[in-house]
Amino acid sequence: MLRKLQSCLAVSLALGLVAAAAGCGGSSSSSPSSGNPSGPITLTMWYWGQQEAHGLTTFVNQSIAAYHKLHPDITIKPVLQSTDNLMPNFAAAAKAKKGPDIEYRWGGIWGLQDAWDGNLAPVSDYIPKSEYSHYLNGSEDTYENKLWTAPWYVQPSFPMLYRKDILAKYGITPPKTFPELMQACSTLRSHGITPIAGGVQDGWFGGWLFSILESQSLGSVNDLKEAVVGQQKFTDSNQAAWWTALQQMIDHKCWNDDIGSLQLYQAQQTWVDGKSAMTITAGTDVKKFVAQVGQSKVGVMTMPSYANGAGAGKLGSTSQTLGISSWSPYKQQAADFIVFMHTPKELSLFYKDTGALPADDRFNPAEITVPQVKQLYQYMLNGAPYLENFIPTDLDSKANFGGVQLMFAGKETPQQAAQATESDMARIRTIDPELIDNFKKWAQQQ
Amino acid sequence: MVFVYGYGIYRLVEEATHRDGSSVGLDNLHIALNDPFFRQAVGNNLRLLLTLPIIIAIALLIAILLYEGMTGWRFHRVAIFIPYMLPVVVVGVLFGQLLTLHGAVNQALQSVGLGRLAQDWLGNPDWALRSLAGVIIWRELGFGVILFLARLLSLPQNVFDAARVDGAGWFRTHRSVTLPMMRSIIGFYFVIEAITLMSWVFSYVFVMTQGGPGQATQVTETYIYEEAFTANLPWLAASAAVLLLVGIVGIAAMFLAGRFIWTRMRAA
Repeated sequence: MLRKLQSCLAVSLALGLVAAAAGCGGSSSSSPSSGNPSGPITLTMWYWGQQEAHGLTTFVNQSIAAYHKLHPDITIKPVLQSTDNLMPNFAAAAKAKKGPDIEYRWGGIWGLQDAWDGNLAPVSDYIPKSEYSHYLNGSEDTYENKLWTAPWYVQPSFPMLYRKDILAKYGITPPKTFPELMQACSTLRSHGITPIAGGVQDGWFGGWLFSILESQSLGSVNDLKEAVVGQQKFTDSNQAAWWTALQQMIDHKCWNDDIGSLQLYQAQQTWVDGKSAMTITAGTDVKKFVAQVGQSKVGVMTMPSYANGAGAGKLGSTSQTLGISSWSPYKQQAADFIVFMHTPKELSLFYKDTGALPADDRFNPAEITVPQVKQLYQYMLNGAPYLENFIPTDLDSKANFGGVQLMFAGKETPQQAAQATESDMARIRTIDPELIDNFKKWAQQQ
Repeated sequence: MVFVYGYGIYRLVEEATHRDGSSVGLDNLHIALNDPFFRQAVGNNLRLLLTLPIIIAIALLIAILLYEGMTGWRFHRVAIFIPYMLPVVVVGVLFGQLLTLHGAVNQALQSVGLGRLAQDWLGNPDWALRSLAGVIIWRELGFGVILFLARLLSLPQNVFDAARVDGAGWFRTHRSVTLPMMRSIIGFYFVIEAITLMSWVFSYVFVMTQGGPGQATQVTETYIYEEAFTANLPWLAASAAVLLLVGIVGIAAMFLAGRFIWTRMRAA
């Protein structure tokens, strides 16, 4: 009996893997075309952003309610996604051709990869140019003259927040250059203060550091695109300089010693708690942090410069976006709701609820009341491309997330990290040539 | 059964042998096998597999102690089984907090003068997989203990009495009497845990380390997940899944073959 049970269980467990793994395959089905419903319809909207723009859920709920009042036949069901599941959940939905009608995407390649895979319908097919030309940073979401996802709100990426009270206490002026930052780190450390709070356990901060440091050493974003397609190398001095800058920060003990243990948002909280002098946050989150710490105590600046490339002294300027699923039977209705969220009243409510800046040039900046957000608005007007949006997402997660973790753990040198990035990119070029072909076309038209 | 498993396997193999709608034979499997990230993931699974003798030995020892009615055995029996009843996600979140650099484990070490042993248990690539293995052992132990205890309780008591009358001590009794009679259940547990360590550790890894730092705790399942849902390479994920399936079936087959040979040898 036992032997039979053993045999059955062993084989069943082994075969049970198949059911899970087969989910990787999925079946294809034809995409229904956008129709004109004769009765009530329900749209599903998967969104993210409450994590970085506190109050977004409030805005989404009120906006949906207001839209339903205007269009009683249209009900919109919002589903907030977690950070780690945002991409995988949509990938799974795309395989099944079932899921949201409206989907949240980060800017640039984060949305375009899905466009290239046929999972998104271009929003410009459903929203007139006279409307979407008001949306900010749409160029990074444009491919073959179509806008694939609609900019929703701006993400100034990524400001450094500092505690004025802590810096002043130790006679430190906000650093503008790397030598000044290193000096500040040494001074703060000598007084037992953690200079900068960060967390890389969940990986995401690695992508942020890549973007804000790498942009300082590149002539333009084109250098990065050339490295992706193999015309430059990630080991070239301009491409690899950011790893050295990061190592310099580590050597000067600029970061919290438990950076490898903490997730990004956990680390930012330690700054709120007064345990560190500086941190790096999402631009959309600044209003929240200012409210938590106190307006008089918070200063905003860009990452101090170690080089004088195109992005030095600037923030990345990108917009978080909304796309329409290619399988949605209600594409036009989905687009209409996106347009509704860009109406003046909704733009105003968006800022009021979240403190984040709507990605629309019709938003009246006079509505910004928080000085730190006003400063961000100025940075945004003079922003640079946000580099994380211009590399394959797989390269980001393997080379940047992983490489930064290893450097903080003291297990990789800047040279090794740059070499690993080059190897990872070579791997992607080999196994996913289609992605590279699409990337080349996109890069050429930018 | 045929539909669930048969169709699943068919879809998996189809995905693993096609790219862009065309058959590519075994090319995808070849690419997966040569992918350094896949190799590292398999290597980490195999390293986790090395904990299997430890799990079995500890589970067996605890089961014997409980069987012999150690003081407070009822409490210990429940306490040991509770971790197995906890959802892996809860265990992962709990240990994720305990094992941070300034977490309770290191604080406890410091409070008893062992601060030099403190580590960034999950943030240090040298320790992350070992820490993960420790958590897996902690949780999986309960199942083994209960399984072994149930078997011990079903063994004839007179055999143990006879061994004692013959002058066998504790160690000799269990080595020469208990272990031979437990062989089949130990083998069963071995297979179950081997499969667990090869293909059921996703939740531990995903919650506690997400495969990091770097690729230090990446396992085959998280590799499959990443390639399918982050890199958008379903054919590569399916290829890795096929290889994993072959590996697991191989383990099960080796176990069954071993049992068959053993039975034949004993019969002869």
